Amino acid sequence: MKTKNVFRFFLYSISFILLLILSKIGYYNYSIRSGVDTEKYPYSVEYIAPDKALLNKEFYVCDENFIVQYYNPQRATYSKGKNGLRNFIISHYKNKNYTDSGYLNIRFIINCKGEAGRYIIHENNLDLEPIEFNTDLVNQLFNLTTQLKKWNPNFTYDEYRDSYMYLSYRIENGEITEILP
Amino acid sequence: MEKLQRYYLSFFCLLLFFSCEQDYSKLTPKERHDLAEKTFKDGPYFYQGSPETMSRIERAIKIDSTYCDAVRELSVAYLKRGIPHKWKIEMDKAIACDPAIWQPYRGYNYLWFYRDYKKAIVDFNASDSLTPNFIETPQGHSVDYWRGIAYLGLNDYENSIFFFNKYINKEIEESGEDWVEFTAFLYRGIAYYESNNFEEALINFNKLIHYSKQTADGKYYKALILHQQNENKKALKYLNESITDFNKGYFNDRPYVETLRQIYIQDLEQLKEKIKSIN
Repeated sequence: MKTKNVFRFFLYSISFILLLILSKIGYYNYSIRSGVDTEKYPYSVEYIAPDKALLNKEFYVCDENFIVQYYNPQRATYSKGKNGLRNFIISHYKNKNYTDSGYLNIRFIINCKGEAGRYIIHENNLDLEPIEFNTDLVNQLFNLTTQLKKWNPNFTYDEYRDSYMYLSYRIENGEITEILP
Repeated sequence: MEKLQRYYLSFFCLLLFFSCEQDYSKLTPKERHDLAEKTFKDGPYFYQGSPETMSRIERAIKIDSTYCDAVRELSVAYLKRGIPHKWKIEMDKAIACDPAIWQPYRGYNYLWFYRDYKKAIVDFNASDSLTPNFIETPQGHSVDYWRGIAYLGLNDYENSIFFFNKYINKEIEESGEDWVEFTAFLYRGIAYYESNNFEEALINFNKLIHYSKQTADGKYYKALILHQQNENKKALKYLNESITDFNKGYFNDRPYVETLRQIYIQDLEQLKEKIKSIN
């Protein structure tokens, strides 16, 4: 009888400790997941919705679930370097008497093969408030940006990865004064 | 044994009770701050800008809205990912929270991520009155150093040199010349070079080479000056060294964005071709 009770006590103790550990893990996971504001942050802030993106139809990403940032360890770059990129844009861009000033940001994805697609455009004034640029200016810079075809993909964890990239054109009275980043 | 079962259930209920959300208004300011900090800093790693990270930051702010580190952190992902209008809203909240720390930091962001040199200078200048007893150092460098760069961005060489002098002289006085940030000599040298004061420019590039040893930028600019002074043999020597340094990765650049007056291998090769064509 005594041995039986000791065994039962031992069983209760083990199951209690197990329950404690499981509840701790459960609560930990619960607190992380329940704490996520999925309404405000359904995706990471850089997420580009494929159905709302431009030039996404023929474009594919290698892993929808793991898209890094352009600057992650071995960064994604334009095949002809920043100088080559700048020279291409500046030599082809024509200020057709535009009077716009602000930042025209074009975000997109460079896939693991070094192809660009899934574009989205943000238009802001120099105080970083949303505005609408002259449509012709936007179209012109968007077309030029999409002509930057060959990119060196990001290399992370021993593999070429998809990465988010952006180009920011600082424009003053229709002239491009900076291309970032 | 029945008692044991009862204790077991009671303890389980107690566990559930303690797992309920806290009412933060009952905490003291210190407790709220500490809890906000714990919420902000502890826990598993998630990528910057992910729903988990952003929500965690929001939770920390909800616990203590005066915990300004979290308020500022909410802006960072937008900054790095090229979403300026959202960055601005969150960054301005951080400044409202603690202007002394975050206004000069916003200046740093305007300087590098937006190349808005005038707005950057306004923010750096604000720190003079916000912290009159000491010079603020956003991102590890004095606002004087940053102002030197911002004025160089505006091609305002006089002010650029003025602020680099202020920064460099203070460093020398307090710690010695070898404590001066190398790029202060580079940029002050460029400011002199672009205002055609080759003599002062060379002094700065020589200091950069002396302290840094391997510097593609310092040797490139020195080669440029020597070339302009028709000392092409010497220029070529420095240029070759500059190319070697460049290929080893010893050139001035920045994470996330291109740096001011960044040099590229094409710049070095072009100059080399030019010099060789003369020789």
